[in-house]
Amino acid sequence: MFMTIGYALLGSSLLLAADKSLSQTVPPEGKQAEARLIAVLQSADTSQKDKADACRQLAIVGTKQAVPVLAGLLADEKLSHMARYALEPIPDPAVDDALRDALGKLKGRLLVGVIVSVGVRRDAQAVPALVKLLEDPDSDVAQAAARALGSIGTLEAAKALRAALGKAADADRQLAICEGLLRAAENLAAKGDRDSARGIYDQLAALPKLPRHVRTAALQGKLTVSGKQ
Amino acid sequence: MSVHTHNKAIGSCGTRAGRGGGKAIGGGTGAISRRQLLAATAAGGGLLAAPLVVPARALGLAGEVAPSERIVLGGIGIGGRGSGVLNWMMAEKDVQMVAVCDAKRVARQRVKQTVDKHYGTTDCKTYSDIRQFLAERSDIDAVLIATGDRWHALASVMAMRAGKDVYSEKPSSMTIAEGRMVVETANRYRRIYQTGTQRLSEANFIFCIEMARSGRLGKIHTAYAHIAPWDAAEMRHDWLPAEPEPPKDEVDWDQWLGPCPWRPYNRTYVGGGWRGHYDFHTSCIGEWGAHTFAQAQMGIGAERTAAVVYHYVNNTTGDGMVTEFANGVKMILSRGDKYWRGSCGMRFDGTEGWVSAADGYSKPEVSKPELLADFDKIVRDYVERTGHVMNHVRDFFNSVKSRRPTVANPEVMHYSMSTVHAANVCMWLKRDVRYDPVKEQFVDDAEANRFLSRAMREPWTY
Repeated sequence: MFMTIGYALLGSSLLLAADKSLSQTVPPEGKQAEARLIAVLQSADTSQKDKADACRQLAIVGTKQAVPVLAGLLADEKLSHMARYALEPIPDPAVDDALRDALGKLKGRLLVGVIVSVGVRRDAQAVPALVKLLEDPDSDVAQAAARALGSIGTLEAAKALRAALGKAADADRQLAICEGLLRAAENLAAKGDRDSARGIYDQLAALPKLPRHVRTAALQGKLTVSGKQ
Repeated sequence: MSVHTHNKAIGSCGTRAGRGGGKAIGGGTGAISRRQLLAATAAGGGLLAAPLVVPARALGLAGEVAPSERIVLGGIGIGGRGSGVLNWMMAEKDVQMVAVCDAKRVARQRVKQTVDKHYGTTDCKTYSDIRQFLAERSDIDAVLIATGDRWHALASVMAMRAGKDVYSEKPSSMTIAEGRMVVETANRYRRIYQTGTQRLSEANFIFCIEMARSGRLGKIHTAYAHIAPWDAAEMRHDWLPAEPEPPKDEVDWDQWLGPCPWRPYNRTYVGGGWRGHYDFHTSCIGEWGAHTFAQAQMGIGAERTAAVVYHYVNNTTGDGMVTEFANGVKMILSRGDKYWRGSCGMRFDGTEGWVSAADGYSKPEVSKPELLADFDKIVRDYVERTGHVMNHVRDFFNSVKSRRPTVANPEVMHYSMSTVHAANVCMWLKRDVRYDPVKEQFVDDAEANRFLSRAMREPWTY
């Protein structure tokens, strides 16, 4: 966006006012920093802002050591997102264990967030739990589960989505399942399983009353996996 | 293609009457549907003889575009820059703007007034919730997204998932992962997408790009790309002082924040003061790099890749950072007017000469006058060869109709923004980084890879 001189002056003045200690600087000592950041999260006297900042830093330096305390925040309405913000990029299977565990404990908006993180991390072990959530009474939860299953994109995930397609309780759920199936087909095709991908596209293309762009996606996908485009 | 075959609202702007059975003309109580009108006309014109005033625009007369040929447009988050683009779009005769969605009441009312004044109606519909907007407006073909940076990618994905074509202001992603999800969604649903890098549709810049691409400058060894001369690469994480949150109808703060981390409300953010904040902005590098990296990468044949090496510079802005592409060409980030005079400048240096341009130039600057001799022909040949016209919104609307890719399509956006994001990471880590544009990961660099994505705040989901 082209900024005006006014915006430029505003930006400059705000920058001067910023606390340098809060800038995007990586703590120099990973493990020492991590211990200090974990302590911040465990302290009862720490503000929401300080805990949020600790989560930001743990997103950069956090390890398996930080997972238990972050997992404990997933049910905290004020900090659940920042806990996921820290957890998502930590490359340790302990994160997947923690998120999977939370799937069975949370509800509503916080559960949606955890489902999204599970999808981002493509945790195949979470498929059974996500499949159960496809029929959750909360439509947002069910939709998030459908998309996450598609992102994970295993054959098991695809089978569950295909089974759920005809049972969707409302149009929004059905569209989310379609999206999940399209993602799953792309993932399966990328792994070389073109037959499974084609089966998904065939099922989608045969559905009556699909929105035009979804039908287009299915037909396009079918052509692609058939090597016709 | 829906633009040609669907019944479209005629100045209805949100009128729900008649869905599936023809849209209401005028939108008011007792309005007659277009289908009824056409049926009556075919039957002998009796209705047209009645004292009903129907604008020529509604009938496609007097040089106006018939409703069935119009692209029905909606807007999401139209502020200052967005208003400029919206006016540009509404000047296109085959475009009908019908509704706006914004978390700020004052913004949506301002856009409604602009749109209604333009069409001489009171029909433009307003929405505060993007989910409701997209769910209810199946009549809309395309959306203009001009929110702050934080919403560009997610709103684009949501709109394309709802079957809309998208023109999104830049910078169009906050992270490399966000850019990838835009590409995937556009490809999945075959949606048309244009990012607002309008200089890719301006003659001076296209001339420079074509000079570089065609070999007229010899072998290109260096491109220079302008970064914004305000703000820094490092951004703030502090919260502005908490203020009482306005009523949801006035400012829906939760919606305004969207996928970003929560923080207390302060009117400065919603007034445009979100820039410079890490959660909302892509730094001085993204502010103009979204334009100039795309320009430079197109000139060096790197529009489908990103820079692979980023050399840290010990300052706060990235000014002077040298990036390297796999084809051996360097792109240098420059904050001042060393290589041009004006905003969003670019320059290509080759073994046989150089060329540069920036906003406000009557003609590009060149190392020798004869390089400009074929200016008109080079631009004309580009237009003929590519089909991309020298009007960025027209290029978008042409693609909405033809289904051919735009000039600033998702890949062009994603790969230039990948260079932006990687350059930012280089500055944040205060060291050189290497990036693999195929794997879309930093090379042997777990620390840098932590910056590839950010968890979205619930309930927002890709």
